[in-house]
Amino acid sequence: MKVNPILLEVFKNKFSSVSEEMGVSLNRTAFSPNIKERRDFSCAIFDENGDIVAQAAHIPVHLGSMPMSVKEAIRGFKLKEGDMVILNDPFKGGTHLPDITIVAGVFVEGSEKPVFYVANRAHHADVGGMSSGSMPLSNSIFQEGIIIPPLKLVEGGKINEPLLKLLLNNVRTPYEREGDFKAQIMANITGIKRMKEIIEKYSLDTVRFYAKELMNYSERIMRKTIGDIEDGVYTFEDYLDDDGVSRQNIKIHLDLTIKGNEAVLDFSKSDDQVDGSVNAVYAITLSAVLYVFRSLVGEDIPTNMGCLRPIKVKTRKGSIVDAKFPAAVAGGNVETSQRVVDVILGALSFAVPERIPAASQGTMNNVAIGGIDPRSGEPFAYYETLGGGMGANPYGHGESAIHSHMTNTLNTPIEALEYSYPFMVRGYSIRYGSGGIGKFCGGDGLIREIELLGDAEVTVLSERRRLSPYGLKGGENGRQGRNVIISGSDEKFMPSKFTARLKRGDILRIETPGGGGYFKPKN
Amino acid sequence: MEIIGVDTGGTFTDFIYKTVDGKWGVYKTLSTPHNPAEAVLKGIKHVVKGKEFRVIHGSTVATNAILERKGAYTAFITNKGFEDIIEIGRQNRSELYNLFYRRNKPLVPKELRFGLTCRVDSKGNVLVDLDEDEIEELVKKLEEAEAESIAVCFIFSYLNPEHELKVEGSFKRLGLPVSLSHRILSEFREYERASTTIINAYVAPKMKRYINNLIEGIGGNELRIMQSNGGSISAEVAMNESVRTILSGPAGGAVGAFEIGKMAGFNRLITFDMGGTSTDVSLIDNKLPLTFESQIAGFPVKVPMIDIHTVGAGGGSIAYLDAGGSLKVGPESAGADPGPICYGKGEKITVTDANLFLGRLVPEFFLGGNMKLARDRLDRYFKEMAKEAKLSELELAEGILTVANANMERAIRVISVDRGYDPREFALFSFGGAGGMHAAFLARLLKIPKVFVPKNPGILSAIGMLLADIVKDYSLTVMLKADETNYDEIKVLFEPLDESGIKDLMAEGIERDKIVLERYLDMRYVGQSYEIVVPFKENYIEQFHKLHERNYGYADESKRVEIVNIRVRAIGSPEKPVFEKIPNAKSSSIEDAIIGEKQVIFDSVEKKTKIVDRDRLLFGSVVEGPAIVVEYSSTIVLPPKCVGRIDEFGNLIIDVEVD
Repeated sequence: MKVNPILLEVFKNKFSSVSEEMGVSLNRTAFSPNIKERRDFSCAIFDENGDIVAQAAHIPVHLGSMPMSVKEAIRGFKLKEGDMVILNDPFKGGTHLPDITIVAGVFVEGSEKPVFYVANRAHHADVGGMSSGSMPLSNSIFQEGIIIPPLKLVEGGKINEPLLKLLLNNVRTPYEREGDFKAQIMANITGIKRMKEIIEKYSLDTVRFYAKELMNYSERIMRKTIGDIEDGVYTFEDYLDDDGVSRQNIKIHLDLTIKGNEAVLDFSKSDDQVDGSVNAVYAITLSAVLYVFRSLVGEDIPTNMGCLRPIKVKTRKGSIVDAKFPAAVAGGNVETSQRVVDVILGALSFAVPERIPAASQGTMNNVAIGGIDPRSGEPFAYYETLGGGMGANPYGHGESAIHSHMTNTLNTPIEALEYSYPFMVRGYSIRYGSGGIGKFCGGDGLIREIELLGDAEVTVLSERRRLSPYGLKGGENGRQGRNVIISGSDEKFMPSKFTARLKRGDILRIETPGGGGYFKPKN
Repeated sequence: MEIIGVDTGGTFTDFIYKTVDGKWGVYKTLSTPHNPAEAVLKGIKHVVKGKEFRVIHGSTVATNAILERKGAYTAFITNKGFEDIIEIGRQNRSELYNLFYRRNKPLVPKELRFGLTCRVDSKGNVLVDLDEDEIEELVKKLEEAEAESIAVCFIFSYLNPEHELKVEGSFKRLGLPVSLSHRILSEFREYERASTTIINAYVAPKMKRYINNLIEGIGGNELRIMQSNGGSISAEVAMNESVRTILSGPAGGAVGAFEIGKMAGFNRLITFDMGGTSTDVSLIDNKLPLTFESQIAGFPVKVPMIDIHTVGAGGGSIAYLDAGGSLKVGPESAGADPGPICYGKGEKITVTDANLFLGRLVPEFFLGGNMKLARDRLDRYFKEMAKEAKLSELELAEGILTVANANMERAIRVISVDRGYDPREFALFSFGGAGGMHAAFLARLLKIPKVFVPKNPGILSAIGMLLADIVKDYSLTVMLKADETNYDEIKVLFEPLDESGIKDLMAEGIERDKIVLERYLDMRYVGQSYEIVVPFKENYIEQFHKLHERNYGYADESKRVEIVNIRVRAIGSPEKPVFEKIPNAKSSSIEDAIIGEKQVIFDSVEKKTKIVDRDRLLFGSVVEGPAIVVEYSSTIVLPPKCVGRIDEFGNLIIDVEVD
């Protein structure tokens, strides 16, 4: 077959429309506010080898890690039509336990093996473990929730009830989980149906051919993008505040080598994995790399396997960016992933300064609150992440109070929050003056103040509370964030990561970091 | 009495009118963007014969005020501590991979956002009351700031509006227009409600000046304004609730399609309006489709609007090969200047150029022959690009249309397949300048059996305005668990909304017994956060499960259901003009209408194709493809195997051979 530029464009359109339709289905049918209001999920299509063909632009942190899940899911199973595999094991293709992936095969008549795969991943508000919201300050994965190895959740079109029962029995809000699982299954069914229609119309050979050609296409553009960067070795380091247990200043080190149209990212001089929960598995580091390089590409290309071909990511097993079992990993996905981005951008700021912003807030400010709702007597689990400042760039200021880099989830409206949870929001505002000063200033963080209307357990997993987001070219650093508990007239400043039992009437105030400034300020 | 429908577009202001003696007329004049009223008044003067007339008008004044950020200097009042909610929005970015992303600046700058100490909880109880002194101080600040318009949105105001009403009272002496959130949109989600209220406050003063200008110009005759919900409203109401008038042009198109389709016996339509830079599509399933999730310039607008999906693909869309060797079409457009290559100035190949290259445009009849098309300019550009793409020039031209059609196919899938509709059960209703050249091909892609091209497809929006009902929408968030309430209880909740509807429509001159009240519930499973709109009948719970299954593929009757909002749509049908029927053809032969013949390429083969003058076709005429039907404002291509028939109203209905 010869590549036809017309069909190449038509298939680009088709594949991305399938993954988007899966997303529409998931978003509309899911139960938890976490998935629906915040859209914390991703959908994608894979070829028969489990290589990603297209992914809808949902959440960047899922980018590099979805293919690893699919590969694990198909390694252990002979998937038949009507089967779906569920998993969340971070050491078998997952990222952290709340992100649950469901994979299904696409079959055509006469095919014994799937000819394509579809998969989706959603962040569940609770998967059990030591604290509500399942984003604990843990020191081993066993404290973080139920670990699901690749298992068949659906077999021959029927839900595996014993497995479902086991899963639901291990989470705090089973009703919500069940609704979300069903929505995830439906999303895959949507994807399968659409893929079959396309195969029927164009023939399997053609669809496969263009799936591969689109990878080549993305690869060509990625190579061109890297080729435009000057050859050299660029080194950068940045640190995580702490691991929530004892270690401080956890180093992430990168030697970035650009040679011709290829890039090698060597993270092996980074610190060892830690006792706390900020360890990142390899898949997360890969996602961060893919996110940054995808952002350098000016065009709207499909995010697929081809993007990664010219890029090599080296890590040291057992390090903070490639943790091994049984490390605690809840925060690696949300926090360490952001720092890995900061480090890659930092290195690139030496290579292509005109295209790189100063550091953004560098955290997702995870807040989880759980307890019994005094209004109904029912347990509740709330989880949310907060935006902050974006880094300034050579051409302008950074945006304020917004999610940056590896996440893009929505906030929960105050009125929705107060309907659903025993909370009263006391304030929600921009944290003026927190952006780093410069000719162009970093964006400001935000302040969210929640009063508890009943006793509850609060867990905060955040970063950049000690070490601030860097400015560039003389721009000042953004201001660090602050976590405050207010009981009566008593204000208590909490560390970046903490769990506390709060009383009715207590207020949790989160102030998120500002972005770094760019260029020296004019006087 | 004469009636006139007026639609202000980017280039032309369109008029359709019916005179006292029952004659219909159409008129177009160039728009006057610096002062849109000028073209409107000029046109009215031109078409009006008698003294008494009624004008129904779709304007772009409100939309443009937002897009160009030329609205009023607006202040925003909310609870203390929440002044920034309109800037934070939903804290997400619309471009994931843009490292330098900036969101649109809010319509109210920081220095005009004010907080008052007061609070209502999620049950509607007042926790903290307003402080008189603080209000006094605020009034002074508003005066000093020279605010021109005020938007007020307090948390949970739709449950208890007393604080909003109180500040409105205190603001009276400022003499400024005040928009209260519980009045504009009595629904939960504070950011969306605030945004809708601010947009109203921002555009209302400008709209008021514009409308007053028109009223003066038409000297006491009746003026009605088209809303984006597909109904019209009196000029007075439009001045105060201007947010309801944004995007009224496209709404007019959908109403036109709906009403004309209904007259001809087609109640299920996918509308397809292809213009120069973009294409609008919508799905009509026996009623006008509404959405409650619109945006303008990135700001949410939650008042009901006709659900129209837009893609950046039109006749002027530019084709190019990207760095990876893929053939792309749009979203960049050649616009009116420089325009497509064949208009004489452009240097980049557009969809229109590809159509001309394949012979599907007839230069002699383009815009009645008033616009010259430079066919000879095309060859050089096609040769260059074909070489680069390693295609023949013919393959390239067909390829450009294939890609453009694929973009539009995707848009139609979004409004049909994604929402549980099978496009094969619908007719494709094509209008707009470029639609007729693509409709039959697009129908084939989607396996849609029939294409419907109305008479006067170029001014359908104006026609829609003439045919629109008078409509007012009301809503209220109630947040009730379905198992804790029942039909009769909910019926009581509807009463105040019903009363408002009746009162407001009677004020519009509709008699009580001519007012229809449609009642709906926004429902969801407990824990979900998007709602489905369900007609309020005794079986509303059953209906909800059914609709959920249709839209999302599953339903679960064991799960708890909640009712989030109640809605009333009050409709008054004014007397609608009836279209005249066209004469019967003596036979189905169209000999007299054939005005030429030319070679056109279909599926890479040149075919002898007849050129047909639409104005000479009569009721019962049959046009067999391949054929090109030309009229003043559009060109319709019938590929081989398609058969078109003219119905009694002059509509062209094409049977598309679907395999």
